[in-house]
Amino acid sequence: MRRKRMPEIIFIHIGLILTSLFFLFPLLWILRTSLISKAEAYQIPPNWGAALTLENYATVLRENNFLKCFFNSFGVSVIVTVVAVLVGALGAYWMARFAVKKDFVKICVLLIQMIPPVVLVIPFSMIISRLKLNDSWTALVATYLSFTLPYVLWMLVGFFEGIPKDLDEAATIDGCTNMQTYTKIVLPLVMPGIMATAVYSFIVSWNEFMYALNLTGLRARTIPVAIANMDTSQGVAIAELSASVIIGIIPIIVLSLFIKKYLVTGMTAGSVK
Amino acid sequence: MDKKRKKNFATFMFPSLLVLVIVLAIPMVYSLVVSFFDTSLKHRGLGNFTGLQNYIAALTDKYFMSSAATTFVFTIGVVMLEFLLGLGIALLLNTNVRGKNIYFSIIIIPMMITPVAVGLTWRLLLHSELGIVNYVLDLIGLTGKAWLADSKLALGTVMFIDVWQNVSYMVLVLQAGLVSLPMEPYEAAKVDGSSALQSFRYLTIPMMAPAFMTVLLMRAISALKTYDLIYVLTKGGPGISTEVISYHIYQEAFRDLELGSASAMSYLLVLVIIPIAVCFVKISKQKN
Repeated sequence: MRRKRMPEIIFIHIGLILTSLFFLFPLLWILRTSLISKAEAYQIPPNWGAALTLENYATVLRENNFLKCFFNSFGVSVIVTVVAVLVGALGAYWMARFAVKKDFVKICVLLIQMIPPVVLVIPFSMIISRLKLNDSWTALVATYLSFTLPYVLWMLVGFFEGIPKDLDEAATIDGCTNMQTYTKIVLPLVMPGIMATAVYSFIVSWNEFMYALNLTGLRARTIPVAIANMDTSQGVAIAELSASVIIGIIPIIVLSLFIKKYLVTGMTAGSVK
Repeated sequence: MDKKRKKNFATFMFPSLLVLVIVLAIPMVYSLVVSFFDTSLKHRGLGNFTGLQNYIAALTDKYFMSSAATTFVFTIGVVMLEFLLGLGIALLLNTNVRGKNIYFSIIIIPMMITPVAVGLTWRLLLHSELGIVNYVLDLIGLTGKAWLADSKLALGTVMFIDVWQNVSYMVLVLQAGLVSLPMEPYEAAKVDGSSALQSFRYLTIPMMAPAFMTVLLMRAISALKTYDLIYVLTKGGPGISTEVISYHIYQEAFRDLELGSASAMSYLLVLVIIPIAVCFVKISKQKN
Protein backbone atom coordinates (compact mmCIF):
# COMPACT_ATOMS: atom_id res chain seq x y z
CA MET A 1 0.00 0.00 0.00
CA ARG A 2 1.28 3.43 -0.82
CA ARG A 3 1.43 5.93 1.99
CA LYS A 4 -0.96 8.78 1.33
CA ARG A 5 -0.54 12.45 2.07
CA MET A 6 -3.01 14.22 4.32
CA PRO A 7 -5.09 16.09 1.66
CA GLU A 8 -5.40 12.86 -0.28
CA ILE A 9 -6.74 11.00 2.75
CA ILE A 10 -9.31 13.70 3.40
CA PHE A 11 -10.39 13.59 -0.22
CA ILE A 12 -10.83 9.80 -0.05
CA HIS A 13 -12.86 10.03 3.15
CA ILE A 14 -15.14 12.70 1.71
CA GLY A 15 -15.68 10.52 -1.36
CA LEU A 16 -16.50 7.46 0.72
CA ILE A 17 -18.77 9.35 3.11
CA LEU A 18 -20.77 10.84 0.23
CA THR A 19 -21.03 7.40 -1.36
CA SER A 20 -22.19 5.84 1.90
CA LEU A 21 -24.80 8.57 2.37
CA PHE A 22 -26.06 8.00 -1.17
CA PHE A 23 -26.67 4.35 -0.32
CA LEU A 24 -27.85 4.82 3.23
CA PHE A 25 -30.11 7.87 3.00
CA PRO A 26 -33.02 6.25 1.10
CA LEU A 27 -33.15 3.41 3.62
CA LEU A 28 -32.87 5.72 6.62
CA TRP A 29 -35.67 7.85 5.20
CA ILE A 30 -37.92 4.81 4.87
CA LEU A 31 -36.98 3.79 8.42
CA ARG A 32 -37.98 7.25 9.66
CA THR A 33 -41.25 7.16 7.70
CA SER A 34 -42.06 3.77 9.19
CA LEU A 35 -41.60 5.11 12.72
CA ILE A 36 -43.88 8.17 12.63
CA SER A 37 -47.66 8.43 12.61
CA LYS A 38 -49.64 7.95 9.40
CA ALA A 39 -50.67 11.58 9.21
CA GLU A 40 -47.18 12.91 9.73
CA ALA A 41 -45.76 10.57 7.10
CA TYR A 42 -47.72 12.55 4.48
CA GLN A 43 -46.38 15.91 5.59
CA ILE A 44 -44.22 17.85 3.15
CA PRO A 45 -42.26 19.80 4.36
CA PRO A 46 -41.44 17.03 6.81
CA ASN A 47 -42.05 17.57 10.50
CA TRP A 48 -38.57 16.96 11.85
CA GLY A 49 -39.76 16.70 15.43
CA ALA A 50 -42.39 14.01 14.79
CA ALA A 51 -42.92 11.60 17.69
CA LEU A 52 -41.76 8.02 17.11
CA THR A 53 -44.25 5.18 17.22
CA LEU A 54 -44.40 1.48 16.40
CA GLU A 55 -48.05 1.68 15.41
CA ASN A 56 -47.34 1.12 11.69
CA TYR A 57 -45.54 -2.11 12.43
CA ALA A 58 -48.44 -3.26 14.57
CA THR A 59 -50.90 -2.42 11.78
CA VAL A 60 -48.87 -4.19 9.11
CA LEU A 61 -48.40 -7.32 11.20
CA ARG A 62 -52.07 -7.40 12.22
CA GLU A 63 -53.54 -6.86 8.77
CA ASN A 64 -52.58 -8.20 5.34
CA ASN A 65 -51.61 -11.60 6.73
CA PHE A 66 -48.10 -10.21 6.95
CA LEU A 67 -47.04 -12.54 9.75
CA LYS A 68 -48.10 -15.51 7.70
CA CYS A 69 -46.15 -14.27 4.69
CA PHE A 70 -43.13 -13.79 6.92
CA PHE A 71 -43.53 -17.36 8.10
CA ASN A 72 -43.90 -18.59 4.48
CA SER A 73 -40.80 -16.73 3.34
CA PHE A 74 -38.85 -18.01 6.30
CA GLY A 75 -40.01 -21.63 6.00
CA VAL A 76 -39.54 -21.88 2.24
CA SER A 77 -36.10 -20.22 2.36
CA VAL A 78 -34.95 -22.57 5.16
CA ILE A 79 -36.15 -25.72 3.39
CA VAL A 80 -34.68 -24.66 0.05
CA THR A 81 -31.38 -23.86 1.73
CA VAL A 82 -31.19 -27.14 3.61
CA VAL A 83 -31.94 -29.19 0.49
CA ALA A 84 -29.63 -27.14 -1.74
CA VAL A 85 -26.74 -27.35 0.72
CA LEU A 86 -27.13 -31.07 1.52
CA VAL A 87 -27.38 -32.04 -2.14
CA GLY A 88 -25.06 -29.32 -3.43
CA ALA A 89 -22.21 -30.04 -1.00
CA LEU A 90 -22.04 -33.64 -2.22
CA GLY A 91 -22.09 -32.48 -5.83
CA ALA A 92 -19.51 -29.77 -5.25
CA TYR A 93 -17.21 -32.27 -3.56
CA TRP A 94 -17.50 -34.52 -6.59
CA MET A 95 -16.77 -31.58 -8.91
CA ALA A 96 -13.71 -30.56 -6.89
CA ARG A 97 -12.24 -34.05 -6.46
CA PHE A 98 -13.53 -36.63 -8.93
CA ALA A 99 -14.83 -34.83 -12.03
CA VAL A 100 -12.81 -35.80 -15.10
CA LYS A 101 -13.65 -32.76 -17.21
CA LYS A 102 -13.73 -30.37 -14.27
CA ASP A 103 -13.58 -27.13 -16.24
CA PHE A 104 -16.40 -28.23 -18.49
CA VAL A 105 -18.61 -29.17 -15.53
CA LYS A 106 -17.88 -25.84 -13.83
CA ILE A 107 -18.74 -23.91 -16.97
CA CYS A 108 -22.05 -25.79 -17.22
CA VAL A 109 -22.91 -24.82 -13.65
CA LEU A 110 -22.02 -21.23 -14.46
CA LEU A 111 -24.10 -21.20 -17.64
CA ILE A 112 -27.27 -22.47 -15.99
CA GLN A 113 -27.10 -19.51 -13.64
CA MET A 114 -27.54 -17.28 -16.66
CA ILE A 115 -30.98 -18.62 -17.62
CA PRO A 116 -33.48 -15.76 -17.15
CA PRO A 117 -36.28 -16.51 -14.68
CA VAL A 118 -38.88 -15.39 -17.22
CA VAL A 119 -37.86 -18.37 -19.39
CA LEU A 120 -38.57 -20.79 -16.55
CA VAL A 121 -41.65 -19.18 -15.08
CA ILE A 122 -43.78 -20.22 -18.07
CA PRO A 123 -43.12 -24.00 -17.87
CA PHE A 124 -43.12 -23.80 -14.05
CA SER A 125 -46.59 -22.32 -14.04
CA MET A 126 -47.88 -24.96 -16.47
CA ILE A 127 -46.27 -27.90 -14.66
CA ILE A 128 -47.19 -26.71 -11.16
CA SER A 129 -50.83 -26.21 -12.07
CA ARG A 130 -50.96 -29.60 -13.80
CA LEU A 131 -49.60 -31.19 -10.61
CA LYS A 132 -52.18 -29.17 -8.62
CA LEU A 133 -49.40 -27.70 -6.46
CA ASN A 134 -50.43 -24.08 -6.88
CA ASP A 135 -50.06 -21.88 -3.83
CA SER A 136 -48.00 -24.43 -1.90
CA TRP A 137 -44.59 -24.46 -0.26
CA THR A 138 -43.68 -27.45 -2.45
CA ALA A 139 -44.08 -25.33 -5.58
CA LEU A 140 -41.81 -22.63 -4.18
CA VAL A 141 -39.19 -25.04 -2.85
CA ALA A 142 -38.99 -26.87 -6.19
CA THR A 143 -38.74 -23.73 -8.30
CA TYR A 144 -36.29 -22.00 -5.93
CA LEU A 145 -33.92 -24.95 -6.20
CA SER A 146 -33.52 -24.03 -9.87
CA PHE A 147 -31.42 -21.02 -8.90
CA THR A 148 -30.13 -21.90 -5.40
CA LEU A 149 -28.61 -25.27 -6.28
CA PRO A 150 -26.40 -23.87 -9.10
CA TYR A 151 -25.30 -21.03 -6.76
CA VAL A 152 -24.49 -23.48 -3.98
CA LEU A 153 -22.56 -25.82 -6.29
CA TRP A 154 -20.58 -22.89 -7.64
CA MET A 155 -19.71 -21.40 -4.27
CA LEU A 156 -18.86 -24.70 -2.59
CA VAL A 157 -16.56 -25.97 -5.36
CA GLY A 158 -14.38 -22.98 -4.56
CA PHE A 159 -14.33 -23.82 -0.86
CA PHE A 160 -13.60 -27.53 -1.45
CA GLU A 161 -10.76 -26.64 -3.83
CA GLY A 162 -9.23 -24.65 -0.99
CA ILE A 163 -8.76 -27.85 1.06
CA PRO A 164 -5.51 -29.67 0.14
CA LYS A 165 -6.06 -32.94 -1.69
CA ASP A 166 -3.31 -34.62 0.42
CA LEU A 167 -5.75 -34.78 3.31
CA ASP A 168 -8.15 -36.93 1.30
CA GLU A 169 -5.34 -39.19 0.16
CA ALA A 170 -4.02 -39.63 3.69
CA ALA A 171 -7.51 -40.56 4.87
CA THR A 172 -7.92 -43.07 2.03
CA ILE A 173 -4.59 -44.70 2.93
CA ASP A 174 -5.81 -44.96 6.52
CA GLY A 175 -8.75 -46.95 5.21
CA CYS A 176 -11.53 -44.37 4.98
CA THR A 177 -14.09 -44.82 2.24
CA ASN A 178 -14.72 -41.78 0.07
CA MET A 179 -17.90 -41.07 2.00
CA GLN A 180 -16.07 -41.27 5.33
CA THR A 181 -13.35 -38.96 4.06
CA TYR A 182 -16.03 -36.53 2.98
CA THR A 183 -18.07 -36.53 6.18
CA LYS A 184 -15.27 -36.88 8.75
CA ILE A 185 -12.31 -35.03 7.24
CA VAL A 186 -13.34 -32.55 4.54
CA LEU A 187 -16.79 -31.44 5.65
CA PRO A 188 -15.69 -30.14 9.07
CA LEU A 189 -12.95 -28.12 7.38
CA VAL A 190 -15.30 -26.38 4.92
CA MET A 191 -17.96 -25.67 7.55
CA PRO A 192 -17.40 -21.89 7.48
CA GLY A 193 -17.80 -21.95 3.70
CA ILE A 194 -20.93 -24.07 4.00
CA MET A 195 -22.44 -21.65 6.52
CA ALA A 196 -21.72 -18.68 4.27
CA THR A 197 -23.19 -20.47 1.27
CA ALA A 198 -26.28 -21.40 3.28
CA VAL A 199 -26.81 -17.81 4.37
CA TYR A 200 -26.42 -16.63 0.80
CA SER A 201 -28.89 -19.23 -0.44
CA PHE A 202 -31.34 -18.11 2.24
CA ILE A 203 -30.98 -14.48 1.13
CA VAL A 204 -31.60 -15.14 -2.58
CA SER A 205 -34.61 -17.31 -1.74
CA TRP A 206 -36.02 -14.68 0.59
CA ASN A 207 -35.65 -12.01 -2.11
CA GLU A 208 -37.16 -13.98 -4.99
CA PHE A 209 -40.19 -12.31 -6.54
CA MET A 210 -41.31 -13.53 -9.95
CA TYR A 211 -41.96 -17.20 -9.15
CA ALA A 212 -43.73 -16.33 -5.90
CA LEU A 213 -45.86 -13.74 -7.69
CA ASN A 214 -46.85 -16.28 -10.28
CA LEU A 215 -47.26 -19.43 -8.21
CA THR A 216 -48.77 -18.25 -4.94
CA GLY A 217 -52.13 -16.95 -3.82
CA LEU A 218 -53.21 -16.13 -0.30
CA ARG A 219 -51.85 -19.27 1.39
CA ALA A 220 -48.17 -19.44 0.39
CA ARG A 221 -47.57 -15.76 -0.38
CA THR A 222 -44.06 -14.58 0.43
CA ILE A 223 -42.80 -11.27 1.82
CA PRO A 224 -41.74 -9.62 -1.47
CA VAL A 225 -45.15 -10.37 -3.00
CA ALA A 226 -46.90 -9.13 0.14
CA ILE A 227 -44.95 -5.87 0.05
CA ALA A 228 -45.60 -5.32 -3.65
CA ASN A 229 -49.25 -6.16 -3.08
CA MET A 230 -49.71 -3.70 -0.22
CA ASP A 231 -48.80 -0.95 -2.57
CA THR A 232 -51.61 -1.72 -4.97
CA SER A 233 -54.24 -2.66 -2.42
CA GLN A 234 -54.06 0.49 -0.31
CA GLY A 235 -53.05 3.31 -2.64
CA VAL A 236 -50.15 5.11 -1.04
CA ALA A 237 -50.29 4.14 2.62
CA ILE A 238 -46.82 5.58 3.04
CA ALA A 239 -46.19 4.76 6.70
CA GLU A 240 -47.38 1.15 6.59
CA LEU A 241 -45.66 0.53 3.29
CA SER A 242 -42.41 1.78 4.81
CA ALA A 243 -42.85 -0.48 7.82
CA SER A 244 -43.41 -3.48 5.56
CA VAL A 245 -40.30 -2.65 3.52
CA ILE A 246 -38.25 -2.47 6.72
CA ILE A 247 -39.63 -5.79 7.97
CA GLY A 248 -38.72 -7.35 4.63
CA ILE A 249 -35.13 -6.12 4.53
CA ILE A 250 -33.96 -6.20 8.17
CA PRO A 251 -33.29 -9.97 8.29
CA ILE A 252 -31.34 -9.70 5.03
CA ILE A 253 -29.18 -6.78 6.13
CA VAL A 254 -28.30 -8.55 9.37
CA LEU A 255 -27.48 -11.82 7.58
CA SER A 256 -25.45 -10.17 4.84
CA LEU A 257 -23.16 -8.55 7.39
CA PHE A 258 -22.30 -12.03 8.69
CA ILE A 259 -21.16 -13.30 5.31
CA LYS A 260 -19.59 -10.08 4.05
CA LYS A 261 -16.13 -11.53 3.61
CA TYR A 262 -17.38 -14.58 1.72
CA LEU A 263 -19.53 -12.59 -0.68
CA VAL A 264 -16.80 -12.10 -3.24
CA THR A 265 -16.48 -15.85 -3.78
CA GLY A 266 -20.18 -16.19 -4.35
CA MET A 267 -20.74 -13.16 -6.53
CA THR A 268 -17.70 -12.91 -8.70
CA ALA A 269 -18.25 -16.28 -10.37
CA GLY A 270 -14.60 -16.71 -11.18
CA SER A 271 -14.12 -13.29 -12.72
CA VAL A 272 -11.28 -12.45 -10.37
CA LYS A 273 -8.45 -14.81 -9.86
CA MET B 1 -11.18 -47.92 -11.77
CA ASP B 2 -14.11 -47.26 -14.05
CA LYS B 3 -16.45 -48.94 -11.62
CA LYS B 4 -15.14 -46.83 -8.78
CA ARG B 5 -15.63 -43.69 -10.83
CA LYS B 6 -19.24 -44.62 -11.49
CA LYS B 7 -19.80 -45.28 -7.82
CA ASN B 8 -18.35 -41.89 -6.89
CA PHE B 9 -20.60 -40.22 -9.41
CA ALA B 10 -23.65 -42.05 -8.11
CA THR B 11 -23.03 -41.21 -4.46
CA PHE B 12 -21.89 -37.61 -4.81
CA MET B 13 -23.11 -36.04 -8.05
CA PHE B 14 -26.27 -37.95 -8.83
CA PRO B 15 -28.52 -36.15 -6.29
CA SER B 16 -27.57 -32.73 -7.69
CA LEU B 17 -27.99 -33.91 -11.24
CA LEU B 18 -31.40 -35.36 -10.46
CA VAL B 19 -32.61 -32.09 -8.93
CA LEU B 20 -31.22 -30.06 -11.84
CA VAL B 21 -32.94 -32.32 -14.37
CA ILE B 22 -36.28 -32.02 -12.57
CA VAL B 23 -36.26 -28.29 -11.88
CA LEU B 24 -34.28 -27.06 -14.90
CA ALA B 25 -33.87 -29.47 -17.79
CA ILE B 26 -37.46 -30.74 -17.93
CA PRO B 27 -39.03 -27.25 -17.70
CA MET B 28 -36.61 -25.91 -20.34
CA VAL B 29 -37.47 -28.71 -22.77
CA TYR B 30 -41.16 -28.36 -22.01
CA SER B 31 -41.00 -24.67 -22.76
CA LEU B 32 -39.05 -25.27 -25.98
CA VAL B 33 -41.77 -27.68 -27.14
CA VAL B 34 -44.52 -25.24 -26.19
CA SER B 35 -42.81 -22.51 -28.22
CA PHE B 36 -43.67 -24.44 -31.40
CA PHE B 37 -47.39 -24.71 -30.53
CA ASP B 38 -50.14 -22.15 -30.29
CA THR B 39 -50.56 -23.08 -26.61
CA SER B 40 -52.80 -20.68 -24.78
CA LEU B 41 -54.52 -20.58 -21.42
CA LYS B 42 -57.66 -19.71 -23.38
CA HIS B 43 -58.02 -23.29 -24.59
CA ARG B 44 -57.07 -26.67 -23.15
CA GLY B 45 -53.97 -28.68 -23.90
CA LEU B 46 -50.98 -27.88 -26.07
CA GLY B 47 -53.03 -26.65 -29.04
CA ASN B 48 -51.83 -26.97 -32.63
CA PHE B 49 -48.30 -27.35 -33.88
CA THR B 50 -47.40 -24.13 -35.65
CA GLY B 51 -43.69 -24.58 -36.34
CA LEU B 52 -41.72 -21.37 -36.27
CA GLN B 53 -44.87 -19.23 -36.42
CA ASN B 54 -44.46 -17.93 -32.85
CA TYR B 55 -40.86 -16.91 -33.51
CA ILE B 56 -41.72 -15.12 -36.74
CA ALA B 57 -44.66 -13.40 -35.10
CA ALA B 58 -42.46 -12.21 -32.23
CA LEU B 59 -39.78 -10.82 -34.52
CA THR B 60 -42.38 -8.90 -36.53
CA ASP B 61 -44.32 -7.72 -33.46
CA LYS B 62 -43.59 -4.06 -32.97
CA TYR B 63 -44.30 -4.16 -29.22
CA PHE B 64 -41.93 -7.07 -28.68
CA MET B 65 -39.23 -5.40 -30.75
CA SER B 66 -39.77 -2.14 -28.91
CA SER B 67 -39.33 -3.94 -25.57
CA ALA B 68 -36.13 -5.45 -26.96
CA ALA B 69 -34.89 -1.97 -27.85
CA THR B 70 -35.82 -0.64 -24.39
CA THR B 71 -33.95 -3.54 -22.80
CA PHE B 72 -30.92 -2.80 -24.96
CA VAL B 73 -30.84 0.86 -23.92
CA PHE B 74 -31.46 -0.06 -20.29
CA THR B 75 -28.74 -2.74 -20.22
CA ILE B 76 -26.01 -0.71 -21.97
CA GLY B 77 -26.85 2.34 -19.86
CA VAL B 78 -26.92 0.74 -16.41
CA VAL B 79 -23.91 -1.50 -17.04
CA MET B 80 -21.71 1.40 -18.18
CA LEU B 81 -22.84 3.70 -15.38
CA GLU B 82 -22.45 1.02 -12.75
CA PHE B 83 -19.03 0.14 -14.08
CA LEU B 84 -17.68 3.70 -14.01
CA LEU B 85 -19.19 4.53 -10.64
CA GLY B 86 -18.23 1.14 -9.22
CA LEU B 87 -14.64 1.49 -10.40
CA GLY B 88 -14.42 4.93 -8.80
CA ILE B 89 -15.72 3.65 -5.47
CA ALA B 90 -13.50 0.54 -5.65
CA LEU B 91 -10.45 2.76 -6.18
CA LEU B 92 -11.41 4.86 -3.15
CA LEU B 93 -11.83 1.68 -1.08
CA ASN B 94 -8.54 0.23 -2.31
CA THR B 95 -6.52 2.60 -0.11
CA ASN B 96 -5.38 2.12 3.45
CA VAL B 97 -7.79 4.65 4.97
CA ARG B 98 -9.43 3.95 8.29
CA GLY B 99 -13.01 2.73 8.57
CA LYS B 100 -12.84 0.91 5.24
CA ASN B 101 -14.78 -1.95 6.75
CA ILE B 102 -17.68 0.28 7.76
CA TYR B 103 -17.87 1.94 4.35
CA PHE B 104 -17.76 -1.48 2.73
CA SER B 105 -20.59 -2.81 4.91
CA ILE B 106 -22.79 0.13 3.95
CA ILE B 107 -21.99 -0.02 0.26
CA ILE B 108 -22.98 -3.70 -0.10
CA ILE B 109 -26.44 -3.26 1.49
CA PRO B 110 -28.42 -2.27 -1.66
CA MET B 111 -27.25 -5.32 -3.57
CA MET B 112 -28.46 -7.68 -0.85
CA ILE B 113 -32.02 -6.46 -0.39
CA THR B 114 -34.95 -7.49 -2.53
CA PRO B 115 -35.53 -5.35 -5.65
CA VAL B 116 -39.18 -5.07 -4.59
CA ALA B 117 -38.14 -3.17 -1.46
CA VAL B 118 -35.71 -1.04 -3.44
CA GLY B 119 -38.40 -0.14 -5.95
CA LEU B 120 -40.95 0.83 -3.31
CA THR B 121 -38.39 2.81 -1.33
CA TRP B 122 -37.55 4.91 -4.36
CA ARG B 123 -41.18 5.27 -5.36
CA LEU B 124 -41.89 6.87 -2.01
CA LEU B 125 -38.81 9.08 -2.23
CA LEU B 126 -39.58 10.16 -5.79
CA HIS B 127 -43.33 10.66 -5.30
CA SER B 128 -44.11 13.93 -7.05
CA GLU B 129 -46.04 15.56 -4.19
CA LEU B 130 -45.22 13.51 -1.10
CA GLY B 131 -41.62 12.56 -1.86
CA ILE B 132 -38.56 14.00 -0.17
CA VAL B 133 -36.59 14.31 -3.42
CA ASN B 134 -38.85 16.89 -5.02
CA TYR B 135 -39.07 18.72 -1.69
CA VAL B 136 -35.28 19.01 -1.48
CA LEU B 137 -35.06 20.06 -5.12
CA ASP B 138 -37.66 22.73 -4.38
CA LEU B 139 -35.60 24.00 -1.43
CA ILE B 140 -32.55 24.51 -3.61
CA GLY B 141 -34.61 26.25 -6.27
CA LEU B 142 -35.09 23.46 -8.79
CA THR B 143 -38.44 22.19 -10.01
CA GLY B 144 -39.28 18.62 -9.10
CA LYS B 145 -40.51 16.34 -11.84
CA ALA B 146 -42.97 13.47 -12.08
CA TRP B 147 -39.99 11.15 -12.24
CA LEU B 148 -41.80 7.89 -12.90
CA ALA B 149 -44.97 9.20 -14.52
CA ASP B 150 -43.38 11.24 -17.31
CA SER B 151 -42.70 9.02 -20.31
CA LYS B 152 -39.58 11.04 -21.17
CA LEU B 153 -38.08 10.59 -17.72
CA ALA B 154 -39.32 7.18 -16.56
CA LEU B 155 -36.68 4.99 -18.23
CA GLY B 156 -33.86 7.21 -16.97
CA THR B 157 -35.34 7.14 -13.47
CA VAL B 158 -35.62 3.36 -13.48
CA MET B 159 -32.03 3.13 -14.69
CA PHE B 160 -30.88 5.43 -11.90
CA ILE B 161 -32.60 3.18 -9.33
CA ASP B 162 -31.04 0.09 -10.86
CA VAL B 163 -27.64 1.77 -10.62
CA TRP B 164 -28.32 2.55 -6.95
CA GLN B 165 -29.04 -1.09 -6.28
CA ASN B 166 -26.43 -2.84 -8.40
CA VAL B 167 -23.37 -0.62 -8.31
CA SER B 168 -22.49 -2.54 -5.11
CA TYR B 169 -21.86 -5.63 -7.20
CA MET B 170 -19.31 -3.80 -9.34
CA VAL B 171 -17.62 -2.35 -6.25
CA LEU B 172 -17.37 -5.78 -4.66
CA VAL B 173 -15.89 -7.52 -7.69
CA LEU B 174 -13.62 -4.69 -8.85
CA GLN B 175 -12.27 -4.11 -5.38
CA ALA B 176 -11.44 -7.81 -5.04
CA GLY B 177 -9.62 -7.56 -8.37
CA LEU B 178 -7.68 -4.47 -7.35
CA VAL B 179 -6.58 -6.05 -4.06
CA SER B 180 -5.17 -9.06 -5.90
CA LEU B 181 -2.94 -6.96 -8.22
CA PRO B 182 0.81 -7.41 -7.58
CA MET B 183 2.56 -4.50 -5.83
CA GLU B 184 5.95 -4.64 -7.61
CA PRO B 185 5.05 -2.94 -10.91
CA TYR B 186 3.61 -0.01 -8.96
CA GLU B 187 6.72 0.34 -6.84
CA ALA B 188 8.93 0.18 -9.94
CA ALA B 189 6.79 2.81 -11.65
CA LYS B 190 7.04 5.07 -8.62
CA VAL B 191 10.83 4.78 -8.61
CA ASP B 192 10.77 5.76 -12.28
CA GLY B 193 8.80 8.86 -11.29
CA SER B 194 5.42 8.13 -12.87
CA SER B 195 2.32 9.78 -11.46
CA ALA B 196 -0.66 7.98 -9.92
CA LEU B 197 -2.64 8.73 -13.05
CA GLN B 198 0.04 7.19 -15.25
CA SER B 199 0.18 4.09 -13.04
CA PHE B 200 -3.55 3.76 -13.39
CA ARG B 201 -3.48 4.17 -17.16
CA TYR B 202 -0.48 1.94 -17.91
CA LEU B 203 -0.64 -0.63 -15.08
CA THR B 204 -4.10 -0.92 -13.51
CA ILE B 205 -6.15 -0.79 -16.71
CA PRO B 206 -4.14 -3.40 -18.67
CA MET B 207 -3.84 -5.74 -15.67
CA MET B 208 -7.52 -5.43 -14.83
CA ALA B 209 -8.77 -5.65 -18.43
CA PRO B 210 -9.92 -9.30 -18.26
CA ALA B 211 -11.65 -8.69 -14.93
CA PHE B 212 -13.32 -5.59 -16.43
CA MET B 213 -14.65 -7.62 -19.34
CA THR B 214 -16.00 -10.47 -17.23
CA VAL B 215 -17.74 -8.18 -14.76
CA LEU B 216 -19.30 -6.14 -17.59
CA LEU B 217 -20.61 -9.31 -19.24
CA MET B 218 -21.92 -10.78 -15.96
CA ARG B 219 -23.81 -7.60 -15.15
CA ALA B 220 -25.11 -7.31 -18.71
CA ILE B 221 -26.61 -10.79 -18.44
CA SER B 222 -28.31 -9.99 -15.15
CA ALA B 223 -29.53 -6.59 -16.45
CA LEU B 224 -31.18 -8.39 -19.37
CA LYS B 225 -33.26 -10.33 -16.82
CA THR B 226 -34.64 -7.25 -15.02
CA TYR B 227 -38.26 -7.71 -14.02
CA ASP B 228 -38.91 -7.00 -10.33
CA LEU B 229 -37.88 -3.34 -10.38
CA ILE B 230 -40.06 -2.61 -13.41
CA TYR B 231 -43.03 -4.39 -11.86
CA VAL B 232 -42.84 -2.30 -8.71
CA LEU B 233 -41.83 1.02 -10.24
CA THR B 234 -43.76 1.49 -13.48
CA LYS B 235 -45.40 -1.74 -14.67
CA GLY B 236 -43.75 -0.97 -17.99
CA GLY B 237 -45.38 2.45 -18.30
CA PRO B 238 -46.09 5.24 -18.89
CA GLY B 239 -47.25 3.79 -22.19
CA ILE B 240 -44.60 1.20 -22.98
CA SER B 241 -41.67 3.50 -22.21
CA THR B 242 -40.12 1.21 -19.57
CA GLU B 243 -41.40 -2.14 -20.81
CA VAL B 244 -38.30 -4.33 -20.77
CA ILE B 245 -38.25 -7.71 -22.45
CA SER B 246 -38.81 -9.85 -19.33
CA TYR B 247 -41.82 -7.74 -18.42
CA HIS B 248 -43.20 -7.99 -21.94
CA ILE B 249 -42.81 -11.78 -21.99
CA TYR B 250 -44.43 -12.14 -18.58
CA GLN B 251 -47.40 -10.07 -19.73
CA GLU B 252 -47.69 -12.04 -22.96
CA ALA B 253 -47.84 -15.26 -20.92
CA PHE B 254 -49.96 -14.30 -17.95
CA ARG B 255 -52.05 -11.29 -19.01
CA ASP B 256 -52.63 -12.22 -22.65
CA LEU B 257 -52.42 -15.95 -21.74
CA GLU B 258 -50.42 -16.76 -24.90
CA LEU B 259 -48.00 -19.31 -23.45
CA GLY B 260 -46.72 -20.61 -26.80
CA SER B 261 -45.88 -17.20 -28.10
CA ALA B 262 -44.35 -16.14 -24.75
CA SER B 263 -42.17 -19.26 -24.70
CA ALA B 264 -40.88 -18.44 -28.18
CA MET B 265 -40.08 -14.90 -27.02
CA SER B 266 -38.28 -16.23 -23.97
CA TYR B 267 -36.16 -18.49 -26.18
CA LEU B 268 -35.28 -15.47 -28.31
CA LEU B 269 -34.00 -13.87 -25.10
CA VAL B 270 -31.91 -16.98 -24.46
CA LEU B 271 -30.50 -16.64 -27.98
CA VAL B 272 -29.33 -13.13 -27.11
CA ILE B 273 -27.69 -14.33 -23.90
CA ILE B 274 -25.81 -17.26 -25.47
CA PRO B 275 -23.18 -15.19 -27.37
CA ILE B 276 -22.54 -13.06 -24.26
CA ALA B 277 -22.09 -16.24 -22.23
CA VAL B 278 -19.71 -17.65 -24.87
CA CYS B 279 -17.57 -14.48 -24.70
CA PHE B 280 -17.58 -14.81 -20.95
CA VAL B 281 -16.36 -18.41 -21.03
CA LYS B 282 -13.65 -17.57 -23.61
CA ILE B 283 -12.29 -14.74 -21.49
CA SER B 284 -12.28 -16.85 -18.32
CA LYS B 285 -10.40 -19.60 -20.15
CA GLN B 286 -7.78 -17.20 -21.49
CA LYS B 287 -7.09 -15.99 -18.00
CA ASN B 288 -6.28 -19.42 -16.60
